[in-house]
Amino acid sequence: MLACRDLTVAYGDIVALRGVDLAVNAGETVALIGANGAGKTTLLQTISGLNKVRSGEMLFKDEPLGPRSSAERVRMGIAHAPEGRRIFPGLTVQENLIVATAAWRRLGKSCEAELGQVFDLFPRLKERRHQLGWSLSGGEQQMLAIGRALMSRPKFLLLDEPSLGLAPRLAEEVYDRVGRISKTGLTILVVEQNTVLALAVANRGYVLETGRVVLAGSADELRRSDRVREAYLGR
Amino acid sequence: MTILDARGISKRYGGLLALADVDLSVAESEFVALIGPNGAGKSTLLNVLTGLTPPTSGTITLNARNVTRSATHSRIRAGLGRTFQHGRLFERLSVLENVMVGAANRPGRSDTALRKAALDTLGLMGLERFAHQPISALTYGNRRMVELTRALAGQPRILLLDEPGAGLNSGEVEDLMTRLRAIRAEHRLAIVLIEHNMGMVMRLAERIVVLNFGSKIAEGTPTAIQADPAVLDAYLGAGSSYAGV
Amino acid sequence: MALRLLGLVGLLVVGFALSLSVSEYALRLLNLAAIAGISVIGLNFAFGYVGLISLGHAAFMGLGAYILAILTTQAGWSPWLASVPAILGTGLCAAAIGFPLLRLKGHYLALATLGLNVSFVIVAANWIELTGGTNGIAKIPGLSIAGYALSGEQPFLWFALVILACLGFVASLIQSSRHGRAMMAVRDDETAAAMTGINVTAIKVAAFALSALYAAVAGCLFATHVNFVSPDDFGFAQSITFLSMLIVGGEGTIVGAILGATLLTFLPEWLRVLGDSYLAFFGLMMLGILIFLPTGIIGLFDRWRRRAPAPETAAAEVAQP
Repeated sequence: MLACRDLTVAYGDIVALRGVDLAVNAGETVALIGANGAGKTTLLQTISGLNKVRSGEMLFKDEPLGPRSSAERVRMGIAHAPEGRRIFPGLTVQENLIVATAAWRRLGKSCEAELGQVFDLFPRLKERRHQLGWSLSGGEQQMLAIGRALMSRPKFLLLDEPSLGLAPRLAEEVYDRVGRISKTGLTILVVEQNTVLALAVANRGYVLETGRVVLAGSADELRRSDRVREAYLGR
Repeated sequence: MTILDARGISKRYGGLLALADVDLSVAESEFVALIGPNGAGKSTLLNVLTGLTPPTSGTITLNARNVTRSATHSRIRAGLGRTFQHGRLFERLSVLENVMVGAANRPGRSDTALRKAALDTLGLMGLERFAHQPISALTYGNRRMVELTRALAGQPRILLLDEPGAGLNSGEVEDLMTRLRAIRAEHRLAIVLIEHNMGMVMRLAERIVVLNFGSKIAEGTPTAIQADPAVLDAYLGAGSSYAGV
Repeated sequence: MALRLLGLVGLLVVGFALSLSVSEYALRLLNLAAIAGISVIGLNFAFGYVGLISLGHAAFMGLGAYILAILTTQAGWSPWLASVPAILGTGLCAAAIGFPLLRLKGHYLALATLGLNVSFVIVAANWIELTGGTNGIAKIPGLSIAGYALSGEQPFLWFALVILACLGFVASLIQSSRHGRAMMAVRDDETAAAMTGINVTAIKVAAFALSALYAAVAGCLFATHVNFVSPDDFGFAQSITFLSMLIVGGEGTIVGAILGATLLTFLPEWLRVLGDSYLAFFGLMMLGILIFLPTGIIGLFDRWRRRAPAPETAAAEVAQP
């Protein structure tokens, strides 16, 4: 579904990604792990159209993504739950979710079906559907961010560090849901610092270190690899 | 002798406990690294130590003076120095003027003296040729170095560095490490380094302090930390210390 | 230093030459421009260097003017003597208000200073026993030096130019001193400034008080030249005009302050032909400047003169372990 070939992204003279080769096939869940500053968020933002590509190419369903604006990419089916949640604090849970249907919904059409699906997945959100965004806990906000991404009828879901700032138990709960979403056949690329959680839901993974892919393999292979520990804590 | 002694630092933001009872003690000329996953509280701790935000509880002693309630500028004048993530320079001033501001943290020095002190510090860092350039003309790597130079010009006894390696290429990181070692040796400067670049951390630090979820979970030499199960758990996820076995 | 003295002398020479060659009406405008120039150089400390959005600058000018007016017309003081408490009093007032006020930032500070200006006008218009209310205070005595009265546009202009040149010189000395750098540091990055040992609050209050001192000098000059003050002269519209003068001329520069003051004093006259639509033109001009030329006329000069040297590309993508 997504293919990155020799992707290089830079901010001014800081090179954030160097020659990255990465692919996500339809129906797969792929984990992108690595230490902070490795370039994981940069990659997701580039896929979403928030960064310009210095060189290399990105293909979505075999078509180059290059010239497409972020809004177009959402319409094409790419949904992004950004780092730090970024939900709308002044809107209620329900409003946050409905806002995300702008990509496909026409005036008058209802989004009850999609809302129902999200509330099934996250019953806690259903309980709080009329609560304002800022009053939710970190974990609930994370669920809302994922739910919001799901509302846009995505074909490809990008999750940026869903466990960030969450207590271990909440992070596990969130990942449990991600696992369920993954089983419905949705293609997912999840970026994570916490390797155990990420590899628990993924089929395959890539390890990023200072902008380069240093290791790639199945989730099992990565789980057993020492190289992963080195990428985080040095040699 | 202890330069910085922070005891029982807690910081609460509403319902969120960003720091929980953290102790950090740094002796003269020591090189300490502060690491931990994203959101662990490292930058918050730095903000508390420098006075940008008051601790909910705990005390901070700098050079035997209690600075817990002191304003930021007083702490700087008492011997603290700090650089920021991504670097914060004064865009309207030239490189030399930026460093002169750093050198001026003690009242009473004449402009000529400040200029000389600033040029000397720039020379020490190999940046004299940029002295009269505007900040906008610098590369990112040089910006970070100028910020470091500015902090050094204030002749601190302890320097707090927030991810100085972020965004630098490997050549620049090597250069930075060489300079840090040299400065520390020459001025008996204590350094506290927040970094995610473990290469830097393991090669520079004498002692590593690890934070996670606002608490100190480990402290020790680089070798000890690399093998510490609690640290592995924090970074790689619970149960990861058994991974690879 | 040489450049500074050259500027000072240049200003005096140009001003003197103009004073001998232009019409009486133009002389009047030049005097108003000089007075405005002093006021705007003051505003430059607060806004240009430290970045404090002060929409109440005219109130300080008014305070200085009114104190002088009251002391001369009601207590019989000579205008020279009266100017001392007028100027110092305004400065102290600004310092006192500054401490609480300058905790505010951005639009909140702007609104607070606006409120200050409005309050000043209301007090001046209603404290009739002291200020004469909306009728103002008339017959303020003019200045005289060694028996020679500075009445008439020309002699006053010479005097005003000397004051302007001196105060401009002092301002440039401050600009290149450590205090000037500290002020600019505070505007560029307040947190980083604190982290270099700068007492940010003290700098803000000092800049604010300094701007008030300059405004008060302008106020005294105004009072002794026009010989009449009324609340309308110091309303917030005037504050906005001062800010516009600074922005058009080039904020953060002394030459820009003087240039902007002169330009925007003469502009209404040159564009008199536009009649009522002058205000529309003025508004559009300000909009244009803010969008296309935010650093003002001096900024344009700077950009043209100094093309930044190419950044040293430190082999950004190459070095490998």
